[in-house]
Amino acid sequence: MSTCAECRSFFLREDEPGQGDCVRRVVDPRQAFYQSKPVREDNDASGCESFQKK
Amino acid sequence: MVAEPAQDQSVQELEDKQEWWWVAEKKRSKRLDYLRKSVWKKGALGGNYAPGIKLDLECATLFTDMWKFWKYDPIMMRRAKAIAHVLDNKTIFITDHSQLVGYFGSLPNTIMWRVDGASMVNEEAYNEPGIMPEPENESLQKVAELNDYWAGQTAVDKVARILDPEDAVKFLSGAIGWGAPSSAYGYSGKDYEYLFAGRRGFEDIIEEINAAVENAEDKTVGVPGPEILDIYDRLQNWDAMILVLEAGIRHARRYARLARTMAENMETDEKRREELLKIAETCERVPARAPRNLQESLQYDHFIQIFARTEAHEGAWPARPDYYHGPYYDKDVNVDKTLTKEEALDLVGEFMIRAYEVGGFAPRWAREGLQGITGTWVWTLGGVNKDGSDACNDLTVAFLQAARLVRVSNPTFGFRWHPKVKDEVLRECFECIRHGLGYPSMRNDPLLIQNAMHWHGHPLEEARTWVHQACMSPCPTTKHGVQPMRMASATANCAKMVEYALHNGYDHVVGMQMGPETGDAAKFHDFEELFQAWVKQMEWLTSLLVRTVNLGRYKDPEFFGRPFLSGMSERSVESGLDVVSPVGDRGNCWVTAFTWVENIDSLAAVKKLVFDDKKYTMEQLLSALKANWDGYEEMRLDFVNNAPKWGNDDDYVDDIMLRCLRETARHSRVMKCPSGNSWPILPENVSGNIHYASIVGALPNGRRCGDALYDGGISPGPGLDKKGPSAVLKSCGKIDHVSDGRAFLLNQRLSPTQLAGEKGYQLWKAYIRTWADLGLDHVQFNMVSDETLRAAQKDPEKYSEVIVRVAGYSAHFVDISRKTQDNIIQRTVQGI
Ligand code: SF4
Repeated sequence: MSTCAECRSFFLREDEPGQGDCVRRVVDPRQAFYQSKPVREDNDASGCESFQKK
Repeated sequence: MVAEPAQDQSVQELEDKQEWWWVAEKKRSKRLDYLRKSVWKKGALGGNYAPGIKLDLECATLFTDMWKFWKYDPIMMRRAKAIAHVLDNKTIFITDHSQLVGYFGSLPNTIMWRVDGASMVNEEAYNEPGIMPEPENESLQKVAELNDYWAGQTAVDKVARILDPEDAVKFLSGAIGWGAPSSAYGYSGKDYEYLFAGRRGFEDIIEEINAAVENAEDKTVGVPGPEILDIYDRLQNWDAMILVLEAGIRHARRYARLARTMAENMETDEKRREELLKIAETCERVPARAPRNLQESLQYDHFIQIFARTEAHEGAWPARPDYYHGPYYDKDVNVDKTLTKEEALDLVGEFMIRAYEVGGFAPRWAREGLQGITGTWVWTLGGVNKDGSDACNDLTVAFLQAARLVRVSNPTFGFRWHPKVKDEVLRECFECIRHGLGYPSMRNDPLLIQNAMHWHGHPLEEARTWVHQACMSPCPTTKHGVQPMRMASATANCAKMVEYALHNGYDHVVGMQMGPETGDAAKFHDFEELFQAWVKQMEWLTSLLVRTVNLGRYKDPEFFGRPFLSGMSERSVESGLDVVSPVGDRGNCWVTAFTWVENIDSLAAVKKLVFDDKKYTMEQLLSALKANWDGYEEMRLDFVNNAPKWGNDDDYVDDIMLRCLRETARHSRVMKCPSGNSWPILPENVSGNIHYASIVGALPNGRRCGDALYDGGISPGPGLDKKGPSAVLKSCGKIDHVSDGRAFLLNQRLSPTQLAGEKGYQLWKAYIRTWADLGLDHVQFNMVSDETLRAAQKDPEKYSEVIVRVAGYSAHFVDISRKTQDNIIQRTVQGI
């Protein structure tokens, strides 16, 4: 099973063990932005369509 | 999409053609151009959301999950934990080129959904076409689940259950007023004096709360007695405030982390990397600690607004940005020279854009009443300092200049005019108006300060801090003066007063007895009998709305709870009470009077044609009204053309205006708010004149049910002010703008051709002087030609950036309904 920790979009938080942010580039019809959402490093990434191996 | 300007035209050519929207595109920086065009417009077009706008399910779900989990907590604590969960877990984003961050939804195209506000609104959300995120079926299922959970336990459900049943039915009929009696949907003032003038960050506030808690806890272990009993509740409230303030600090640090991650891992452009690191530094500083520079100050303010809107659907945005951020502009631009004027203008323009993109899901009646915008974000500029000296500064000018570059319809500005305003600042106001923005509205500062003291007893220094609480009403920003919660439901559809006076209190449109039985008007022998019936209907209608709001306000700490807003208030930090509690609030209420002038013109028409000239009988008039004037066209035109109309300096009808206002002012002093203060009226309309078009029956001013109502406040009916602008001003000047009511909206249309160039400015300046000398408190201008507006109706894409003043707000012309567009074109263009 792959986990978020193995994904290119995962950034571990320095001060919170096991906790990280999933940071991804999004381009919608009006603007481009980076979005961030909290994820745990051991999250099951097998169902994630955006998973990209580091 | 925004159409592209003709590339081959110079700024000068575009200016000569007065195509100001293309001028703005050519003049603004690349950053502002990108950010302005990147906004997802949340204001409903006519009444419908634009394609691509989606309901924010993420925040509603996060909030509900935590709300369910902490079901045994008191309401303030429960809400604080739910809000903290949203702030800690929702998706955040940083748009390319931006320097300021923070949105209350999870993605740029989402509208926030106040899921705990009102079941009726939740049902509308479920049924609104086009706003469900993909996959639609899953989203519908989620919304249905949330609606099931919240049914019967939203804030408004709780108030509705305890209202007098007859009041509830009449209020909910939608005929006499609008809004919801809960702070879930209110206009919340902010205690800016505490936050900005007091230079406090959240950590400073937490420290003050901890000191208050320590003091209170000492009492709970001391001598037993009744005086310590309510301390236990206050301790819970203080804990809730701390919890949500800490969540706010963490939320900002999520942005700091994102900006750093972008700078260190993704960004290749050196200049942008520096900007991202500056964003990170800013969000590490604020809101935790007080700002040190303009970017931090604007960012701090924006975070406060976002957090307050995460807690409640705030329908207004009371603010005075030049006054509170001005010292930082001065320090950065003039003293330290760490920012150029152009860089500062970029920040100020973006600050406006960040507010423009904010929008929550609103029920259809609100969307129709506020076409093209998502709330009345009327920011206050200018005015005086607490010592009475001129408060205008370089940032006042920067805001007025930035407005012409970004051309957003929300926020708009209300400018506090006073005799000491410098010519250079007044010119900037005029330039905005000349560029067709419809703002700033001009407010008579000395008079409104007097008004605030007269009606609500604000001391002079406190009154001088006033900001627009919503579109129009002045409210101070101090510990005892700030109004934490104005509920829009004290908004009266006043045309019903004369309608009910004529129909014995019966509403033929909704088909029920609404007002008191004031007698069969067919049997009235003289005007006095009709007028007294009108007085009784006015008293009944305003009292019903005020009762509803008073109850909503009184019960709000129990039914809703505002831990974040409480943490922003010196009064709450000190007392541990929910900020919505009336204790210690001086009280600053008003009844918004929609569709007011219809009363005056209708009463004058009956007086003249029925009782004085005896040209028609009351029976004939009532038959014509019941038939909606159908089959009575000749008679209707007589009532339109041959009865005196307000706004022509005609004492016959102007005296009726004064009698109506003074009767209402008398009753305003009888009705009391929970703090024991008065409820003056404030005639204005937003676009309620269109919303109520099919709800108000035929009237003796010649209006048929279905016709647009007048555009509001004390503005004369469109096209009925035939004697020119001086006559309009003279009619309005007969009103005592201090003691007859809280404020009085006046729309005027001016000719862009006449007001071109220096001569135009001097003409306008002289007009403003006359306006002030006559003692009017408000005036706002549309200065876009009929030709342009008609061209925009034919080719909306080409004219998508044309802005008009609708009522107490501005909107992009293409975003309002055809009926509202026509109503604006019909307004008389005054030559001054
Ligand atoms: S949620 Fe998906 S995209 Fe994000 S870090 Fe995990 S696997 Fe990667």
